[in-house]
Amino acid sequence: MGVLQGATELFPVSSLGHAVLIPSLLHWSFKQSDPSFLPFLVLLHLGTATALLILYRHEWLAIIRGFFVAAVRGQIQSDTERLAMLLLVGTIPAAVLGVFLETRIRTLFASPYEAAGLLVMNGVLMLGFEVLRRRAERRGAADGSSHAEQEERFAQAERISFRAAALVGACQALAFLPGISRSGVTIGGGLLAGLRHQEAARFSFLLATPVILGAGVVEVPQLFSSGVPVGEYAAGAVLSGIAAYASARFLLRYFRSGRLDPYGIYCIAAGLISLALLHFSL
Amino acid sequence: MKSTTTSIGLGVLGIVFLIVAVLYALGVLQFLASTSGPHYKHAVLFTVLAVASFVGANFARPKGTIYVTDRPRR
Repeated sequence: MGVLQGATELFPVSSLGHAVLIPSLLHWSFKQSDPSFLPFLVLLHLGTATALLILYRHEWLAIIRGFFVAAVRGQIQSDTERLAMLLLVGTIPAAVLGVFLETRIRTLFASPYEAAGLLVMNGVLMLGFEVLRRRAERRGAADGSSHAEQEERFAQAERISFRAAALVGACQALAFLPGISRSGVTIGGGLLAGLRHQEAARFSFLLATPVILGAGVVEVPQLFSSGVPVGEYAAGAVLSGIAAYASARFLLRYFRSGRLDPYGIYCIAAGLISLALLHFSL
Repeated sequence: MKSTTTSIGLGVLGIVFLIVAVLYALGVLQFLASTSGPHYKHAVLFTVLAVASFVGANFARPKGTIYVTDRPRR
């Protein structure tokens, strides 16, 4: 579960969808209603967030410094300061929606059937984002220009507008639906806002870190009060972190020239196969 | 959009968010919470909102304004 969570959290394929579907399809004796499930999930998320913090450790130090400098000065004077404020603006809608709606949404869509259906929808969304992106590329492209040259015309994460950052942040709330991917919708949102693929992935990972970390840290006291096997769960968290780190490195390299299409096709296929398997109780 | 009114408004909003955060942390406020007792997640959220409001207030404050406190001497 640790490896599965860590890998799928950052790939645009929905970790929650996989966490609901795979135990159900493989008949794992893993009950989400079990009191120890939430602390386990919290530790796995902390593993993922730690991996992202390690990956972007230098950038986060600069962002935190930039945030305080810009906040005290009351003015943005550098790209890092702008990025810090964009992340604040992007985090707020996700945090508000997360705190007030997450539990309600998750309980409404907790069955494997719904997760499989929403995984198909996630795939359609990924393909839709790329259709819109290709249209934008065609509008301003010179004849015969390569994908890499076309990517150069799009912006870095620091250049996104504050309104777009808030919208991309709000998109994160869709990921409370099991089957809809947080990184998928935020990368897609970044593409629609005019970012390069790699920059959209970077912005998505930076945006995810405070939300995942914040949601995890506030649940930590439960770990020590619920009598769960912290050692075993911590091992899962370490595996989750290693998988997340490897996934993030892979994805950042992949998005230099890659698109969301393969993940969209995977999600549609995985969702449809899961629906068939669940329907025929295989 | 720099104006003293916006700046003061955001500052006041920040103080309100901070009070709400404290009330959630103490378990006094139960609004939109699924269980009873202290709600640290809500408290953290409202603290973040308070910080954002204070930052916004500082950004909205007109810079380089000279506030005249004394009447000019004749």
